[in-house]
Amino acid sequence: MKVAFWPGCVSKGACPELYVSTHKVADALGLELVELEEAPCTGAGVLSEQNPALADSLNGLTLAMAERQGADLMTICSTCQGVLSGTQFHLANDPARLARVNETLASSGYEYRGTTKVKHLLWILVEDIGLDRLASLVKHKLTGLNVAPFYGCYILRPEEYLGLKERPERSTYLEQIIALIGATPVEYLGKSKCCGFPMLTMNREVSLKMGGKHILEAKSKGADVLVTPCPLCHLNLDGQQPDAAGVMKQPLGVPILHLPQLLGLAFGFAPEDLRLNHHVINTKAALEKVELKV
Amino acid sequence: MKWTIVVGRYDKDQPAGSGYPPPFESAAAKRYQTFEVDLPEHAMVLDALIQVREYQDESLAVRCACRSAICGSCAMWINGHANLACTSKLRDFTVDGKVTVESPPSMPPIRDLVCDMTPFWQKNRQVRPWLEGKEPVPAGEEYRVPNAAMENLIQEVGCISCGACLMDCESFAVNQNFLGPAALAKAYRYTADPRDAETRDRLKTYSEPDGVWDCTHCYECVQQCPKGVAPLEQILKLRRMAVEEGFTNNAGTRHAYAFAESVKDSGRLNELTLMPKSFGLLNIRAQLQSLPAAFNMARAGKLPPLIHKKIPGLARIKSIFAKVGGKFK
Amino acid sequence: MILDHDVVVLGAGLAGMRAALEAARAGVKVAVVSKVHPVRSHSGAAQGGINAAIGKDDSWEIHAFDTIKGSDYLADQDAVEIMASEAPRDIIELEHMGVTFFRDDQGKLGTRAFGGASKARTYFVGDITGQALLYTLYDQILKAGVQIYEEWFATALYTVEGACRGAVCIDMLSGELHLLRAGAIIMASGGCGRVYEPSTNALICTGDGIALAYRVGAPLMDMEMVQYHPTTLKGSGFLMTEAARGEGAYLLNASGERFMQRYAPKMMELASRDVVSRSETIEIAEGRGVDDCVFLDLRHLGPEVVMRKLPQIHEMALDFLGIDMLTTPVPVRPGMHYIMGGIKTDATGATAMPGMYAAGECACVSVHGGNRLGANSLLDTLVFGRRSGAASANYARQVQPLTSGEDFLRSEQVRIAALLERPYEGETHARLRLELGTMMDRNVGVYRDEAGLQAALQTIQQLKQRYQHVAVGDKSRVYNQALTFVLELGYMLDIAETIVYSALTRTESRGAQSRTDFPKRNDAEWLKHVVIHSHDGQAPAIDFSPVSITKWPPQERTY
Repeated sequence: MKVAFWPGCVSKGACPELYVSTHKVADALGLELVELEEAPCTGAGVLSEQNPALADSLNGLTLAMAERQGADLMTICSTCQGVLSGTQFHLANDPARLARVNETLASSGYEYRGTTKVKHLLWILVEDIGLDRLASLVKHKLTGLNVAPFYGCYILRPEEYLGLKERPERSTYLEQIIALIGATPVEYLGKSKCCGFPMLTMNREVSLKMGGKHILEAKSKGADVLVTPCPLCHLNLDGQQPDAAGVMKQPLGVPILHLPQLLGLAFGFAPEDLRLNHHVINTKAALEKVELKV
Repeated sequence: MKWTIVVGRYDKDQPAGSGYPPPFESAAAKRYQTFEVDLPEHAMVLDALIQVREYQDESLAVRCACRSAICGSCAMWINGHANLACTSKLRDFTVDGKVTVESPPSMPPIRDLVCDMTPFWQKNRQVRPWLEGKEPVPAGEEYRVPNAAMENLIQEVGCISCGACLMDCESFAVNQNFLGPAALAKAYRYTADPRDAETRDRLKTYSEPDGVWDCTHCYECVQQCPKGVAPLEQILKLRRMAVEEGFTNNAGTRHAYAFAESVKDSGRLNELTLMPKSFGLLNIRAQLQSLPAAFNMARAGKLPPLIHKKIPGLARIKSIFAKVGGKFK
Repeated sequence: MILDHDVVVLGAGLAGMRAALEAARAGVKVAVVSKVHPVRSHSGAAQGGINAAIGKDDSWEIHAFDTIKGSDYLADQDAVEIMASEAPRDIIELEHMGVTFFRDDQGKLGTRAFGGASKARTYFVGDITGQALLYTLYDQILKAGVQIYEEWFATALYTVEGACRGAVCIDMLSGELHLLRAGAIIMASGGCGRVYEPSTNALICTGDGIALAYRVGAPLMDMEMVQYHPTTLKGSGFLMTEAARGEGAYLLNASGERFMQRYAPKMMELASRDVVSRSETIEIAEGRGVDDCVFLDLRHLGPEVVMRKLPQIHEMALDFLGIDMLTTPVPVRPGMHYIMGGIKTDATGATAMPGMYAAGECACVSVHGGNRLGANSLLDTLVFGRRSGAASANYARQVQPLTSGEDFLRSEQVRIAALLERPYEGETHARLRLELGTMMDRNVGVYRDEAGLQAALQTIQQLKQRYQHVAVGDKSRVYNQALTFVLELGYMLDIAETIVYSALTRTESRGAQSRTDFPKRNDAEWLKHVVIHSHDGQAPAIDFSPVSITKWPPQERTY
């Protein structure tokens, strides 16, 4: 299976471990990634709120690039997914908006016709590759590991952008994958809530409390690690976790794994190959629980 | 049909029982009680609660009046999310054979499903929720305004103040001072009213701390609103109006400009410069506060490349900015 | 606690808040008391709009005539003239307060057609007009700084030497009883829809204020005039706004016929409500309905009109019946909707009792007479809310402050405490309420006769006996709704009795009162109001009050 691959800025920036582990897992799955090297940042919702026309055009360009590849567009970031899904939703439902985008794109040599689908790796794993196929690739079951899913807002809301009205089960894919690889999904309220990242520069304390609260709740329910399909959540939950612990005045110490890192472990990749040694929160204790060393 | 409903019971006067699930256990003493009711297939959660209150346990406290999503009384937590009980079908919310309802932990509890809505009303009051009519007020006739301007406001006018948005607001959950989704949506309703004379002053006030920029953009309020008010969308409109009106001396605006600049100049986000630029280069305190995290990340090998790479084909991006970049040109 | 104000308003719907605003403008100390938060009030459920003759081709006289004809000539024409002629200024004032009325092409106020009206004079905000008005007025009383006691439930009125001087209320959150003393009290507590089951009214519409006033001797008028709305949703009984028919929706019977052509060939679906409800009842009784319902058909209006102008009822039919109006007609039936009668007042809102004013659905001026026109109720609340606010402030200024009342508060505390301690003997408020409501719908509904009304009276008397044994199934102080439900049931039993007595008294058919044993209107004998009152818990007494006729002598009424 071939997909147009939009890695997002963060996997090529502060979360290189996501980029690396995505490629590992894709190789194992036989998923051909055609990276859109000339695609721009989605604007992460920041640009669209101040200038919808600008965001429409930037994301329309990315969609058009994928369309030219004749493949679906794959994201590995809940935020990129949400923003691109939102653009796609608006352009599909508002012909005038689509016409404006194509007018802007005309000189760039691209036109968006509305045929490509945008799918997060998480959806491709369950909907295209299938749980059976995934199960057949599991070499190292993570039995005994309690894994708390953390979706990130933009892969869940608003529902109509993300096809959740038609496929409500998309809000359970992480749990399905966690169970599939022999680990135990941890049920907690915070799994669908906000990590606080969008607020980090506006109100740091609030941002850290938001993330810290969910980590604390997951921990109290026995979570050994959190797993997220969103590198922005990862930045706040892992990168800022020591600071969050400070604000919460409570120890946290829960490693945060990217989705392909968790899957990669089950597929038998060495933790170093998935760059699990490059986290702010040390993954050693959690890995030892499933007889892995970093 | 038989339905099972689990109700969070609480009495401010008689605290007893096991308590909320963590991390809210300090909120109140509370117990869960299970009831069985016999109701038709299309019955609502509120029908079940009324059934319980009328025929099984008269001490069950629940606010309700219209039963048809107009009065806004019956917002509560249903299976861990805020919802109106009167339009939530038992069929849709029964999970593992039961529906769980309780007072939302984000609001002070009073009795069973009745929470203290004071925070909600105070926030409403804080945004100056009334028209400050433009002078001169037309004598003996109406203000002339286009119908589209009125229809633009009806999305908020449809708000029934049920509070579902605030109950599940992530920012409010950790910052009680945040004005919150409903109040800010109401703020938009008066700010965008062409008859209002205080647009500029309103935008200035709403741009202050705990205002529009304290929304974390998580879409919980859009998801939970039973009336399609989409408070987040109204907040974003206010942000846009505020920036256009020149209220730009805040992290939110700086963040947006830094973001746009980075995308325009390189096609991608420059994580290294985004944070410092957002804080404001002279905001030493914020810059210092962000240092430990940056240091931790650098030590883990998670620092973005020091030389920010531009994407190939950047001319396309620049051309888009030139055409529709607006204030980000 | 004892709290003093100049004017205390019981009820915070449109009438109450408008009254409070006017009294506050007059410079007196005002408080509003409501058993729910003001914006939960049932005024918010009024969907279609508010009437005023503003347009060039319209005049207040035509509006007044439509109203009087709609009332079946029972409305007091002097009061109707006031309402119709002052309507434009109240609408304009609301617009200035910020109501987002929909506009026409010139940016001026836009109108829609409504039942019983010869011109399109209904001003509207989508299909949430009541809600839009309610919120605007709430915003205005916040701006004016009016004191609000929300979730306070009134248990009794305090009278001193024949004048109304206060009310005892339970603060639901603490369970404490307080006495609010005042120079004047405005009753603005809304209707009593829950006396009937089903009803379009909210569960809170239990006629508290009507009963409280009646208990201290204030006369009630036109209580037999109970309006059945022609289009209430099958099952739940929720309101499907008349605006649907105003926008052009059809009523169909089982064979798909627009049956109104046989009853009101000129106005068709937009004949006045009593006429349409009777027609539907006949269709159903003669076997041309389906499951006791006829159909409201919006399909030909198209999605654009339905989704822009009637989104709320589209959503309700979908939520509660799973029916999409865009593709399928909706089953509807006549359902109890409004009471034209209430506490008898003059055009300033003053009742027969000094110090007591009333406005809105709980009052009877009488501007609706035997049948209220759609979109006149919002207007009634604003015009007479405003007038009673002004008059009560004026009155209260001349009243000496009180020092008494502690004994009365204590006696109420003792009464409520005794009620809470009453042992359980098998009677519950819920069962009695259901029995009362279904009986009223059956015997005192669209069509009535002597036998049915006598049976109703007997049932009510039995229910009153049983009511003495109803226990309160909650012993907590905090938010004790079982207690307020029991008190409400008491109010409703009193009101039901006044409705049935009045209906028995009027031996003719007029407006909402259709006596199958007296099928004709009888102007010679019955061009007068039935007034009912009671003193110190004694049996009700009946009086009559003349109908004011100014310009419009009674005619035959056809649509």
